[in-house]
Amino acid sequence: MIALLLTLIVRRLLSAVPILLIVSALLFCVLRILPVDPAAMSLPPNATIEEIEAQRRAMGLDQPLPQQYAIWLRGALHGDFGRSIALRRDAGELVAQTLPATIQLAACAMAIAAILGLGGGLLLFHLRGTVLEPLADLASIVLLSIPEFLWGLILLFVFGVLLQWLPFTGQVAPGLPLPHVTGFLLLDSLLVGRFDVFLSACRHLVLPALALGLAFSPTIMRVLRSSLFDVYLEDYIVQARLRGLSEGRILLGHAFKNASLPTLTLAGVQFGILFSGTLLVEVIYSYPGMGNLMVDAVRNADLPLIQAIGLTYCVVVLLINTAVDSLYVVLNPKLRVR
Amino acid sequence: MAFKLKRRSFLQLAAAAAAGVSAPLGRAVAAGNDAATVGWPNDVPTWDPNQRFTPDAQPIFKAVFDQPLDQDPSLKLIPSLIKAWNLEPDGTSMAVELRDDVTFHNGDTMTTEDFRYTFLERIKAGLKLDTANSWKKVDDIVIESPTKATMKFNAPAPTAPQWMAFLGSYMVPKKYIEGQGLDNFVKNPVGTGPYRLAEYELNSRIVLERNDKYWGPKAKIGRVTIEIIKDPSARVAAIQSGQTDFTVNVPVREAQRFEREPGLAAELDPITRVILIQMRADLAFADKNVRLAAHHAIDKAALSKAFYGGAAVPLSVLATPGSPGYLPDFSFKYDPALAKELLAKSNFSTANPVKIGFATTNGQFPSDYDIARAIVQMWKQVGIEADLQVIEYAKYFELNRGNKLPETTLYSWDNATGDPEIFSGYQLNPKMPFSPWKDEDIGNRVLALFGTADYDKRIAGYKELERYAVENGATVPLLQSVITVVRKKNLAFTKYANGWVLPQTLRWS
Repeated sequence: MIALLLTLIVRRLLSAVPILLIVSALLFCVLRILPVDPAAMSLPPNATIEEIEAQRRAMGLDQPLPQQYAIWLRGALHGDFGRSIALRRDAGELVAQTLPATIQLAACAMAIAAILGLGGGLLLFHLRGTVLEPLADLASIVLLSIPEFLWGLILLFVFGVLLQWLPFTGQVAPGLPLPHVTGFLLLDSLLVGRFDVFLSACRHLVLPALALGLAFSPTIMRVLRSSLFDVYLEDYIVQARLRGLSEGRILLGHAFKNASLPTLTLAGVQFGILFSGTLLVEVIYSYPGMGNLMVDAVRNADLPLIQAIGLTYCVVVLLINTAVDSLYVVLNPKLRVR
Repeated sequence: MAFKLKRRSFLQLAAAAAAGVSAPLGRAVAAGNDAATVGWPNDVPTWDPNQRFTPDAQPIFKAVFDQPLDQDPSLKLIPSLIKAWNLEPDGTSMAVELRDDVTFHNGDTMTTEDFRYTFLERIKAGLKLDTANSWKKVDDIVIESPTKATMKFNAPAPTAPQWMAFLGSYMVPKKYIEGQGLDNFVKNPVGTGPYRLAEYELNSRIVLERNDKYWGPKAKIGRVTIEIIKDPSARVAAIQSGQTDFTVNVPVREAQRFEREPGLAAELDPITRVILIQMRADLAFADKNVRLAAHHAIDKAALSKAFYGGAAVPLSVLATPGSPGYLPDFSFKYDPALAKELLAKSNFSTANPVKIGFATTNGQFPSDYDIARAIVQMWKQVGIEADLQVIEYAKYFELNRGNKLPETTLYSWDNATGDPEIFSGYQLNPKMPFSPWKDEDIGNRVLALFGTADYDKRIAGYKELERYAVENGATVPLLQSVITVVRKKNLAFTKYANGWVLPQTLRWS
């Protein structure tokens, strides 16, 4: 199985290369079509036309578009994504600095979405045919229609302002240090033995992660329920019943495992969407991740930074899809045989 | 399901509801006497303070770095790192004497070498600093001793002292930057200010710790944490819940609500920021009647009442009350009937309106888009049909440079010095990129004032220019902007006329 997995991963990574090239070229062209002048914007407002022209030449913006892309691509392959216009810092460094916080947030949100989604899906299925089914169905539809930023505001109001149970700004409480080892604060705080920082970081992560998780859990919930309906039509469920197995054991021991495969595929796709959903949630909770950075970059028309972040989103989504496909192989014996 | 409730409206509503329900809980958080948490709307763009002109970041820079000269709360220029200065009558050189008791946070003594490095060598090195433009007239800085130097300008620089206390003019350490490199300086900035940077997390938090070796008055609070909270409604929620002790730039309605809250104090303070309509001198606005009609048609008091709770002061000139160029006796009246008369002289009426373009930002300053929409309606009443276009602030300079702005643009202009050169001088100088008004007559008057070194003569000239510009429809000053401040009642601060909220002036009582 390991050989099969390695083959799959290598194949996936190889196929990611042309995808990344196409995405980066598209991103590059779209951003260059926007009516903004990166050369003028990278200089003070009272720069002269001559100074702007000199800057344009220095940035290679006087070259034809394909050549500009080639220059950018060469730099990107060497880890140089250009300098942020607004922050005057290396765009790649800014992304590297903020990416771990976003991954941490998205991973926690996904865990919450999975727990709520799978639990909710099982509950919805369990309530089938009962008087509570329409009510549960309605509740899942209502949940499905609430976007992540609205969850963010609802949770902030209830748990932050009204009840004052949880903090809603930043990553840790004022006064606590921010250890930097890997960039992942939860891990870093444990590595340096600061459990107070770990607990504070967890408390700060609850609301934004819950806002994202709640927004994505209903999809998982409904797909799992639908998959369970399909699985329950299979012969082996009937046979399990004939063998006298309890409904609970049939559901959890047999049906759930098979029904979870399509749910897993969906979760992989959802993770990409959830990752982009961090944008507004990070702004609402002053969370120092890549989404927050992206919002600023767009506001400032900071093209090098937008490009670096956009490409990073693409890489992350491709990696997640590869991971999900690998997990699918592990969980689905049919694929291993093939 | 479609949600029609806007995010911002929802949170404001939520915070308002919380005011009644959770007030006792909100006040439960007691801050220590030696620490305070501030909710601030923007991060610094970079920790190189000479790099970018960002007005909102100045109070933070002023905590970590010092400026050669400073301003008192009424904006009077006062000594700082420079203890004495003398601008020659022709404005082409300025002798300065620095303090001899100032050290950077790393222990290095500040000298004229640092002064020369900051205001000449860094700029000449082509580092693309914004200060390169403010100090482009500096030809040389002659060092006479570790505390004495003379700045030599290639043209009269009458506002050089004012610029010593303005955007980007912060002393940086030569030895440290040259030894450690610029990247290290930006990561671990070293200044001479009342606080040193203890911790920084991009877009999230700035932690300042008191510099106990500071040469001037020591900060009252030992540790100030600045939480970067960009969403105004989230800043409201943070102060409401006690997660911050002090915040600024919350919506006016919220500030007015907080005025009635026990334990909290809220203020709306007018500052040296002007909201104006920038004009072009051509297209449909080549006609002076149309320009003046556009001005007479605007009810500024109504705008102030509707969008700033009446706290924003209606203006008739491009200067704020109390600043040197202000004309307290001059008033440009709101008179829609006169506006109609002026338009009629040019054969326009409500039935045959003059058509103009009107650019505005949306969200660049409080209620900008709403103000623009209100003005469009006021104009419509007299016979001006404006096509409202939303532009990104990031694109403003490019559009202006390319002569692509429409006849009118709603704009907010910040001038922390209060000096008239940086109000009407910059706004009406055709050679500068801050206004679409390009006209030889007014342009020549401005350029003459740029070369006038005598202070009294210069100020008198600007007063005359301001009246002339408004009477000729070259600009439409609207309102003096306000800053909203909400704080714990026992957390005081020093109010500056330019809206600075300096961490070093915060104090618990």
